[in-house]
Amino acid sequence: MPPRIPALASYCRPVPIASSPLAAFLLPLFQARNASILATLSENPGHYNKRIRRGRGPSSGKGKTSGRGHKGQKQHGKVPARFQGGQTPQEIVHGTRGFENLFSDDMSPVNLDRIQSWIDQGRLDPSKPITLKELCKSRCLHGIKDGVKLLARGKEELKTPINILVSRASTAAIEAIESVGGKVTTRYYTKASIKRLLKGESESSFEPLALTPPTGKESPILAATSPSASPFSYRLPDPTSRKDMEYYRDPAHRGYLSHLVPEGHGPSLFFKTPGASNVRRKAKKVGAGGIARGENKIW
Amino acid sequence: MEPLRFESYPSNHLYLPLRRDILHRAVVYEGDATRQGTASTKTRWEIHGSHRKIRPQKGTGRARLGTRQSPMLKGGAKSFGPRPRDFATGLPKKMYDLAWRTALSYRYRKGELIICEDGMDIEHPKTRYVQDIFEHNHWGSEDGRTLLITGDYRHNLFNALRPAGQHGRVQTTEEVDVKDLLELGRIVIEKSALDEILHGHQSDLTSKVRAMV
Repeated sequence: MPPRIPALASYCRPVPIASSPLAAFLLPLFQARNASILATLSENPGHYNKRIRRGRGPSSGKGKTSGRGHKGQKQHGKVPARFQGGQTPQEIVHGTRGFENLFSDDMSPVNLDRIQSWIDQGRLDPSKPITLKELCKSRCLHGIKDGVKLLARGKEELKTPINILVSRASTAAIEAIESVGGKVTTRYYTKASIKRLLKGESESSFEPLALTPPTGKESPILAATSPSASPFSYRLPDPTSRKDMEYYRDPAHRGYLSHLVPEGHGPSLFFKTPGASNVRRKAKKVGAGGIARGENKIW
Repeated sequence: MEPLRFESYPSNHLYLPLRRDILHRAVVYEGDATRQGTASTKTRWEIHGSHRKIRPQKGTGRARLGTRQSPMLKGGAKSFGPRPRDFATGLPKKMYDLAWRTALSYRYRKGELIICEDGMDIEHPKTRYVQDIFEHNHWGSEDGRTLLITGDYRHNLFNALRPAGQHGRVQTTEEVDVKDLLELGRIVIEKSALDEILHGHQSDLTSKVRAMV
């Protein structure tokens, strides 16, 4: 590009014929361009650092060895961070111990003294049910991993009766809440369902999925034809694994499925309740016994 | 145009000092987040073909060669080529919200913020009609183009203005960002859309503690 000489360029430009001094004064105002501010945006000068130019002479401060010291691999290239000069590295000498269980649930703990403090500050409303959504939105919990477990730290401080819905609760916490007249319910959550719950795509509910009436948003076609009354597009899931089902069937855990367990039965799906099963077997024998056996006899 | 009525807004909503650094941070943040980041090249392990040694190590009188996928050869890999990645950078929410209100304040102070009644639309989806409106109000390409902001999608207005990009554009509050607010000559915005933007971008003014959820 040729050098720009503004003075010369302005000299060469045809001079606008100013008919009167007033017009000459107003001319720049009429020619105001609609330039955007975007081109003139920049950070404050202190935000930017001057680039360090290495190996550019002694007066630069990074001249002779360019800040790399003298001799060796570190001067010439890169040395791995774990490298110990050829000695067997620590992680090979000692190895790794233990393992990480990928299938374990990582529960986010919430304690009773913290809940009471939040109620005292007016950040949680004890008159309404306290669910994961309320806990997260009031920043009582800073994000939820796979669920929320209610723990009993500072259980003496709890004075307000609360109605709380969490994934799990410790025995001491259940005892403390119920002694002041509150209510605990535990409910099955998955990571995905918690995400949807916090996004407002599903509703916090004490009801199991099996007992919830369908909303009509199950299929996109049905949803398109009949706009349903519920603003939520998802419902909370029920457990499918035996371990989870047994946890939430257990009245000791205040599980949300515990009211489905018949009177006198245990929460286990494997071990039968003594007495209950014997009666059923006897009834079967009496019902369709000898008649069928006699008719289907071949020999 | 005549003013219909007067409305007052807090000075920390529409009369903030111009902070070019904050606006710069916001515009760069948005630009980074908008980058697609899908550029992709194959490494020498992804290029199809056998990794057989091309020619003997010694005795041919030619250069030593290993595999056909070497970055040095024609048809070989790209060394240190682009891989799909996310270019998004972070910006504190309070700073971003301040940038939104600073941008609107800048427009307001320059007299380039025109607030109109809700329900901004036209009778027919005709580009020529919109061009006439823009010309009459001095909003068109001669006068630095105009950004219209509506609360939601307006069929006639959006369809009419789409082919007339040289005169301006129309966006909903969902679509608009800080760079859009600064880009064109002036902003024409519905009152409810302005209120929605201001309401959604005041995290630095409200208390951090959210009471009674």
